[in-house]
Amino acid sequence: MTNILFTNGRLIDPSQNLDASGQLTITNGVISTVNAGLNDAKPAKADKIIDCRGACIAPGLVDMRVQTADPGSEHLEDLATLLAAAAAGGVTGLGCLPNTQPVIDNAAMIDSLGLRASRAAGPRLHVYGAATKGLAGREMAELGLMAEAGAVAFTNATTSIGDSLVMRRVLAYANMLDKPVIQHCEDASLAADGEMNESETSTRLGLIGIPSIAEAVIVERDIQLMRLTGARYHVAHLSTRAGIDSVRRAKADGLPITADTAPPYFLLNEIAVSSYDTAFKLSPPLRSEDDRQAVIEAIADGTIDAIASDHVPVDGDAKAQPFGPSQPGASGLDTLLALTMTLVQQDQISLLRAFEALSFAPATILNVTGGTLMPGAAADIILFRPDTSWLVRGADFASLSRITPFEGQPVQGLVDATYVDGICVFDRHI
Amino acid sequence: MNNVTDKIRSNDSLSLQAGNAAELSTRNLLGIEGMNPLEIRSLLDRGDQFANAMQQSGDDLSPLSDVLRGKTIINLFYENSTRTRVSFELATKRLGGAVLNISVAGSSVKKGETLLDTATTLNAMHPHILVVRHNCSGAARLLSQHVDAAVINAGDGRHEHPTQALLDALTIRRRVGQIEGLKIAICGDVANSRVARSNIHLLGTMGAEVSLVSPATLLPTGIERMGVIIATNLEEGIHDADIVMMLRLQTERMAGTETPSQREYYNFFGLDRSKLMRAAPNALIMHPGPMNRGVEIDSAMADDAQKSLIRTQVEMGVAARMACLEAIATKLANENKLQGNG
Repeated sequence: MTNILFTNGRLIDPSQNLDASGQLTITNGVISTVNAGLNDAKPAKADKIIDCRGACIAPGLVDMRVQTADPGSEHLEDLATLLAAAAAGGVTGLGCLPNTQPVIDNAAMIDSLGLRASRAAGPRLHVYGAATKGLAGREMAELGLMAEAGAVAFTNATTSIGDSLVMRRVLAYANMLDKPVIQHCEDASLAADGEMNESETSTRLGLIGIPSIAEAVIVERDIQLMRLTGARYHVAHLSTRAGIDSVRRAKADGLPITADTAPPYFLLNEIAVSSYDTAFKLSPPLRSEDDRQAVIEAIADGTIDAIASDHVPVDGDAKAQPFGPSQPGASGLDTLLALTMTLVQQDQISLLRAFEALSFAPATILNVTGGTLMPGAAADIILFRPDTSWLVRGADFASLSRITPFEGQPVQGLVDATYVDGICVFDRHI
Repeated sequence: MNNVTDKIRSNDSLSLQAGNAAELSTRNLLGIEGMNPLEIRSLLDRGDQFANAMQQSGDDLSPLSDVLRGKTIINLFYENSTRTRVSFELATKRLGGAVLNISVAGSSVKKGETLLDTATTLNAMHPHILVVRHNCSGAARLLSQHVDAAVINAGDGRHEHPTQALLDALTIRRRVGQIEGLKIAICGDVANSRVARSNIHLLGTMGAEVSLVSPATLLPTGIERMGVIIATNLEEGIHDADIVMMLRLQTERMAGTETPSQREYYNFFGLDRSKLMRAAPNALIMHPGPMNRGVEIDSAMADDAQKSLIRTQVEMGVAARMACLEAIATKLANENKLQGNG
């Protein structure tokens, strides 16, 4: 039996609504005691004592939207760098999209990725199965076999399932398996050839606009399909006021709908594109200031349940192009916590709400380990200092993918250490 | 005959000295948006002088200035072009410079070379000015961030085509006298038109009242916030207009669902004599070319020597571009001087 005692910490646990100084003990990889208000007492058999010196002890982040380039484009990001970046960012569990090469649309692929990740002994990799074969949006993939192999959710990755009948069947079938369906909500024909959010700015820049309602069009359709099928449904990177209003209404109606967003959608708006800087080319595109405000409100009131990194490994060459043909996406694992902390520093949300959105909510939505400091839970925890400031530098990322729309920005909130099953997978001071 | 030419030459050489070059605040000419009225006016004034000199010299195409002597201008065209490329070439030669034309067909771009790699390659050849046309909005700006040469945007996607707007303004000014106070209707495929955007900025900055006439499907979002009046009916939109500027229907940039057919488009948005009756009595017609005759404009209108300025536009292209090239060359020379002194 091994005991690790963390003393002088600030315990943050959204699952118990706990924000207090205290200490925590891990025994054999499981959280054994959480003592708020207690700092001096030492258990009889602590093998190791870690003095947190006021740092926060919180559940590790569960990042529910990550793209891995492995297998297929390992030069952009392989499993090792992906997990290293997650650990450095305080992420103890990550949901990874099936848009690899080959596509994760069968049980063998789920197995293979899961096994490789478990050998790496880092953060937990939760694999999403492709909802349709080859992500083509036409035929349902083998959802049942993938669920047996460990798929935690199903999604068509970076595109919506456009065919309403296919979507209806995917929802009904996934519901039978008790797995959520995650949708990138964007009507493909409305967004065709789109380069940025449609607005006065896109008109000035001569870039092809994607109307913001392209999101709500799919959200609204899917809500109707939810009523038909009773399925659990999750909106990925929700970014528009119209889409948020739809989700809010569906929640009020009691439907099992959830949503996440990513830092660019609450920290940036479309004006950033004015320089044609391709680091700001994202999918969905950066929206209007009104949409950004709506995203912040929705995070605060819980309409948006979770905050994910939306980590996309992108080649520098794919970005060193004119804006139109450049590839959308940016690195996000290294910066997820610090960027989310911006909302806390601006008093938009509490630290507890931030951790709910970053850990407890996504763990609940995906029904995976993590998101809590409850005794008996796996010791997936982080130590972090909320006030320590640093500069975002893509070159310093643990991820191989170093393009970020936040390059050069000062942020606050630094992860000191990350533990998975009580094992230290990242320590800044080593 | 030689005596006469020499006389004209010597008279011109006074006014055509580089000291009278237009003044720009930046070394690149990437768009009209953000340029101030003084810069625009100085380019137009200078273009006017060059236009006069060229009219006097007639068929004699020898240099009118040596401001570009010993300098290389590269025309890098990723899209097909006749008038813009040729007029930049002529403008360069008449300022004493050398021109290299690179068109994408038959270049390494066809072999998959990226814009920035091409830029690096060309940079190694030390061009003075790069004139670039590209099908992507923002391409000229991107290029300007990666080369030592100054960059002139000769059209980038749907964004801007600043020298077209300058030559249009020069054409209007020489015919009508001034731009301020004119009612100018820009008609047709606004959504896909960089010419429209540059003209909206320039004509608005110079005090014209600009209206846009376009089917609702070809009016881009938020364009009404760019200081223009919007109409979706051609006869209403050109009512009392002094200038009717027709745009090319950019079928090559269209997805196919913008208009039902060219026949229907012509019926509602093609300029013919009866629709033109709604404009001011002496209204003039412009078109940046190349024209789709029978689609956005009736041939009788395009070729009407009294009303159509289309041929003059082509002619003014050379003068306007000379003013731009000279202004940039002068700006670069001044930058070098400053660096030398520092």
